[in-house]
Amino acid sequence: MSFWEKLGKIDRKIIFLLMAVVIIIPLLSPLNLVGKVGRRTQELFRAIDNLPENSYLLITIDFDPQSMPELYPMYLAILRHAFAKNLRVIVTGLWVTGVGLGEDGLKTVAPEYNKVYGRDYVFLGWKPGITAVVLGMGRSMKETFPTDYYGTSYDSLPIFTKDITYRDIPFMVSLSAGVPGYETWIAYAQSRFGIRIGAGVTAVSAADAYPYLQSGQLTGLLGGMKAAAEYEFLNEKAGFTKAFKPASQLMDSQSLAHLVIMILVIIGNISYFALRRKR
Amino acid sequence: MIPQEIWIWVGAILTLFIFSFLYGDNPFYRFAEHLYVGVSVGYTIAITWHNFFYPDLVVPLFKQGNLFYLIPFLLGILYFSIFFPKISWLIRIPMGFVLGYSSGVAIPAILQANIIKQMQGTFLTPDLLKRPDLILWGIVSLIGVVATVIYFFFSREQKGLTKGMANLGIIFLMIGFGASFGYTVMARVSLLLGRLQFLLRDWLGVIK
Amino acid sequence: MARTLPLALCFIMGVLMACQFFIPHPLSQSFLDLIIKWVRIISAFALALGVRSVTLRHYERIKRRKGEWGFSVVTIVSLLATALIGLIWGVGAKSYLRLIFSNIMVPLGATMFSILAFYMASAAYRAFRARTKEATLLLIASFIVMLGMVPIGTAISPRLSDLAEWLLSVPNMAAKRGIMFGVALGVIATSLKIILGIERGWLGGRR
Repeated sequence: MSFWEKLGKIDRKIIFLLMAVVIIIPLLSPLNLVGKVGRRTQELFRAIDNLPENSYLLITIDFDPQSMPELYPMYLAILRHAFAKNLRVIVTGLWVTGVGLGEDGLKTVAPEYNKVYGRDYVFLGWKPGITAVVLGMGRSMKETFPTDYYGTSYDSLPIFTKDITYRDIPFMVSLSAGVPGYETWIAYAQSRFGIRIGAGVTAVSAADAYPYLQSGQLTGLLGGMKAAAEYEFLNEKAGFTKAFKPASQLMDSQSLAHLVIMILVIIGNISYFALRRKR
Repeated sequence: MIPQEIWIWVGAILTLFIFSFLYGDNPFYRFAEHLYVGVSVGYTIAITWHNFFYPDLVVPLFKQGNLFYLIPFLLGILYFSIFFPKISWLIRIPMGFVLGYSSGVAIPAILQANIIKQMQGTFLTPDLLKRPDLILWGIVSLIGVVATVIYFFFSREQKGLTKGMANLGIIFLMIGFGASFGYTVMARVSLLLGRLQFLLRDWLGVIK
Repeated sequence: MARTLPLALCFIMGVLMACQFFIPHPLSQSFLDLIIKWVRIISAFALALGVRSVTLRHYERIKRRKGEWGFSVVTIVSLLATALIGLIWGVGAKSYLRLIFSNIMVPLGATMFSILAFYMASAAYRAFRARTKEATLLLIASFIVMLGMVPIGTAISPRLSDLAEWLLSVPNMAAKRGIMFGVALGVIATSLKIILGIERGWLGGRR
């Protein structure tokens, strides 16, 4: 086998090992590379930042553990921002297997800001029927969620002073890993009731969200873990939190992994073109 | 109660079971995979009961005697006809109801959100006239959208201008797919990093 | 009866719901309120279908001692155990179900797709070749996004992230919008076919 052939046939196990090494080393000794905060992250941050104190912020957990490493850090960062700005946070979701994550985030972040359950934030859990739930919240929150996740009736939750609808919610963020997700909220909540929507999505679907950004249907977008890291940075810069930043910690490894994958592709191509020229 | 440390060990061992697939398919991975399916479905059943069936159906219908809930309850029950082959056709009734509903609400919603609004975005962007470069990119986008749509228009043979536009459409599509691929790489790496963070931080405690 | 009734119901519901959107009259709004309430209840029962398909498959495998039927026992036992634990002791923050969720379901689910990173690296190395002009374009676009989106890209050149953002906002946006039009028209056409009874796949068997 010639050198060029060998170059194109590196064993899979070696590639696996290489990937593992470049990812683990920066975790053990960080390089502290500094990134730039993307425009779309800034748009979402600003949209939430500009909400008046005590306004409702609806956050929807439209994902499950399978995309947790990407979307859960976004959820924590947005919660920290919302609580620091004294917004009233309502959390629900369209994915039944994501319910526990919604609850976890609130349990982690609310005590950091001394927020009281039922008054400052509420967890509504999950209801079946997807579009019927989204449309229902536009008509009556009380009818759609007669009780919260823990079985407390709507009327006994001080966070709701009346039967609210989307009209009372100036902004919502859908953290979405697919369908149902932010597109469901745009199609059913926004086109009929006109709520402003921002989204946090897995990187896989981030490029698909751009038409909605350009048309103004989406206000701000967090695409993948890197955007979560940017949000963590903005939160810290504004003095909202000093908590551990899970996404930021991983950005060095993310950078190096991208670099290695690109180098591998280049090596593959060099081998391919060298062999083609020989033939 | 089992202490938290032991639970973390459970999580770590299960994580390693899945990672073992990198070496090759093996019983540990198969066990983890089957466990995941079972636990997920069991979890769904429990949540559906406590979040929905009990507060939204059992309480109003059986405890408060609100007969309004009887019709949807009976329609829903028909889903269970699938377990009895002789009357299994009855399942078509709730399915027809829900499918009709979802198709009906989808038409105006999709029309509004994904066609009308998107067309407005293509032709009438509010900030288009703010800067000369925005006008340029607005025009490029417009051409790109039209070219992509023409590429997907297979009902007529593409020749002349339409062929040229279709080829231009391919260029836009390739950039779009490239962007998606780049982002996909990022997504997969992130998922792996998330798990390594769990193993190294929460389990082994070697990073802070 | 077995076909006509469901088809008629589907047609009536479809037409009413599609028209409802355009009629702001209070009567039409109350109709919407009623239907979405019903749909939520009916859809919840569809859970039966999901549970049936999972259990049936594994039950058959266990009954016939087919293939790796031992793993099917794992699925059935874990399903029943999780459901019962949740049903009996509840789903609150300190419940047993939460422990199962956080320490079994989360690690398994989150790891399931994380191993793809390795396969993707290996596949990209093996198959991602600049064979044609189109493939080259795809490759360049993906490199710009891969670099422009992470800190190391900014370290190489601060303009790289701007370039990536432009690429996403202009050419990528145009292509994705073109695709979106196609998909949206497809959804509308399929919905119409279901309402009008042209698409009858959901009826299943012949009876």
